[in-house]
Amino acid sequence: MAGSAHPEAMAPPKPGRTRTAPPQMPSTWWSAPRIRTYLLFDATGIIYFLVGFLAIKIVGQLAEGPGAWQAQMKALENPLYIAFHVLALASVIFVAVRFFRLFPKAQPPSIGPAKPPPGPVIHAMLYVVWLGLTALISLALAGVIL
Amino acid sequence: MKTLLLKLEPIIWFMFGQGIMIGTMLLTGWILVLGILMPLGIVDPMKLDFARAQQLFTTSLLGIPVAQLLLAALVVLPLWKGAHHVRSLLIDMGGGERDGLVGTVLYLIATVGSVMGIAAVASL
Repeated sequence: MAGSAHPEAMAPPKPGRTRTAPPQMPSTWWSAPRIRTYLLFDATGIIYFLVGFLAIKIVGQLAEGPGAWQAQMKALENPLYIAFHVLALASVIFVAVRFFRLFPKAQPPSIGPAKPPPGPVIHAMLYVVWLGLTALISLALAGVIL
Repeated sequence: MKTLLLKLEPIIWFMFGQGIMIGTMLLTGWILVLGILMPLGIVDPMKLDFARAQQLFTTSLLGIPVAQLLLAALVVLPLWKGAHHVRSLLIDMGGGERDGLVGTVLYLIATVGSVMGIAAVASL
């Protein structure tokens, strides 16, 4: 199942001056926790794809009219949909926790004359925005606000 | 195709970055309420009946269709996060020999989905 990654995958059209070792997937990738987590992070892309297209379908049904919307809401009660959404929720939380931890490390030392805030501050700000937006959207959908 | 993907890389990375950041932030509440709490009856589904859903998803602020813009971001951006990470997963698991074709197909699917999503939101 695991083959070696192509050395030219995602390489720029002209080679740079720095020599780099070709990336290779070790045959024991499944026993390496870091690679497993990395692949799991990539695999959430499948869930995001499905969630995105399902969301488009849901919005489309709302545009169709009251009958289609009612039928769509009823269809979401199917245990398979619920199980998928539980998996999707776990995926977005996993992505958020991992990505928000990585994000401060990817900041440049300075942007023009300004320096970005310290890593822990950026990390905390991302959590505040994420949890705030999640609360806002949840309360709006549940009819508590708006 | 590989050359085209490399030329489009700034756009692809921009959409991927927004998908992973903004897409994740918007999806959490959507999945939690619409996908889990309402179907399980923990939140009354009638709180989001047709009339209220129409009103909520077309809410404007100072003449700006804020709710539709957020909804468009919610349906479009995850597709780009999905396309880029599935491409990356396929390179890791199967090598990059077909990356030009695979990447093109995945981003085409994301593009078509984006057009469909924006059209659906605009028709509300």
